Amino acid sequence: MNKQLGFLHNSEKCVGCRGCEMACKNEYQIDATPEWRKVFQLHEDDYSLPTRMFFSMACNHCAHPECLRVCPVMAYTKRDDGIVIHDPNRCIGCRLCTMACPYDRPQINPAKKKVEKCNLCYQRIDNGEQPACVAACIPGALELVEINDTLDQKTGVLKTLPGLPSPKLTTPSIRFIGPKQGKQIRRD
Amino acid sequence: MGDWEWPLILFTVLGQIAIGIILMLWWLDRGRDHLDTQLFKQSVLISGGLLILALLASLFHLGHPEAAYRALAHLGSSWLSREILLFLLTFLAWIYLFWQSKQQTGSRTLGLGITSVLGLLGVVSSAMIYVLLRVPAWNNAGPVLCFLLTTGLLGALCTLVLGRKLLQTTQKKLLLQFSLGCTIASLLLYIIYSSMLSASTEGAATLNFLLNSPLFWSRALLGWFAPLLLLISILKNPQVDKTNLILTVTLLAGLGEILGRALFYLSATGIQITALF
Repeated sequence: MNKQLGFLHNSEKCVGCRGCEMACKNEYQIDATPEWRKVFQLHEDDYSLPTRMFFSMACNHCAHPECLRVCPVMAYTKRDDGIVIHDPNRCIGCRLCTMACPYDRPQINPAKKKVEKCNLCYQRIDNGEQPACVAACIPGALELVEINDTLDQKTGVLKTLPGLPSPKLTTPSIRFIGPKQGKQIRRD
Repeated sequence: MGDWEWPLILFTVLGQIAIGIILMLWWLDRGRDHLDTQLFKQSVLISGGLLILALLASLFHLGHPEAAYRALAHLGSSWLSREILLFLLTFLAWIYLFWQSKQQTGSRTLGLGITSVLGLLGVVSSAMIYVLLRVPAWNNAGPVLCFLLTTGLLGALCTLVLGRKLLQTTQKKLLLQFSLGCTIASLLLYIIYSSMLSASTEGAATLNFLLNSPLFWSRALLGWFAPLLLLISILKNPQVDKTNLILTVTLLAGLGEILGRALFYLSATGIQITALF
């Protein structure tokens, strides 16, 4: 693997508009049930001061993908740029990958009885375009980045957020910029 | 929490009974008192039927059963691929055993041995599928030991039922003692396993689900306490006719194991995103 592509999500910029979710659904005409991308709201008490904060998550194209390890039909492959691709033509709907992923991102499509997930718009990337979700993010909270030490050493870049499974499980290719805690003034 | 995975419950339990019967036949055949030929033929036939039913049941778990053959494609890292391969090899070995059971002469130990070893490896592979980083309740030796104990317990009890008129007294006693050993081991294992579960949030959720589920207490009564008392009573009173008691204990233990397997799938709690929405 030459590099590892992934997402950088800036929670300070994200307003929870779900534009990324919709862009993904529009791009691939996904049925209602499988959610390739999903916007979550963090618990307000996860930070010292109450704050309404969102993060958007699709497949994390993990460095050590459990879905790829457990799949009996080799429906998953990892490209040289680190993108984990799921081939629905090979999937037999055993659902083992849905049990193995701590982020619940491969999801069964009940109509097709097959698993689906985000393939990081690899066709668009190969054409020099941004993934649909990144291109559609109005506040610019979602970016396509190369996950490497240089990124990890930048100030404010986090490997996880409160409420997420430990990154030690699968080494997900997503980084976060957490919210800035505003000053609160109590007026009694 | 998981779902009622009926195809998987049937596949694992029936498959384990089939392999357990072959294993018990192998064990008894290697002993001083050889196995009755009629019992050998009858048990091989029944175990094969159970194995076929198990393999058929497993197909219903898939979204696309017609493409099940593809499941052999990832032997390098997928335990599911390895399980399917080993179960198919066990079935091939069973065909050889079935052919052997039709012959008038020849040693059957080799056929029984090969089928048993392949079957046991298949059972271990089945259990390894569930050893997932995501599920703390499964990410340990628990699934392997639990599946092996089901194989031993139900294999021994079903062999006792099949050979109620054809097994010799010493062979019956061996199988009864083995069943008792498996029941005690299963109970002790569950106590240790439960005490380990509270170490993680997800494990504690599994434990909480189990302790609050009437299914778990039914499983404990049917699968552990009732068989334990009945087996001790049978072993303590060798002069009493045991046929009905053995049948009762087999049915109870079978029900207990089916409930136990259902709870195995129902109570699994995976590490997940705990944010809102």
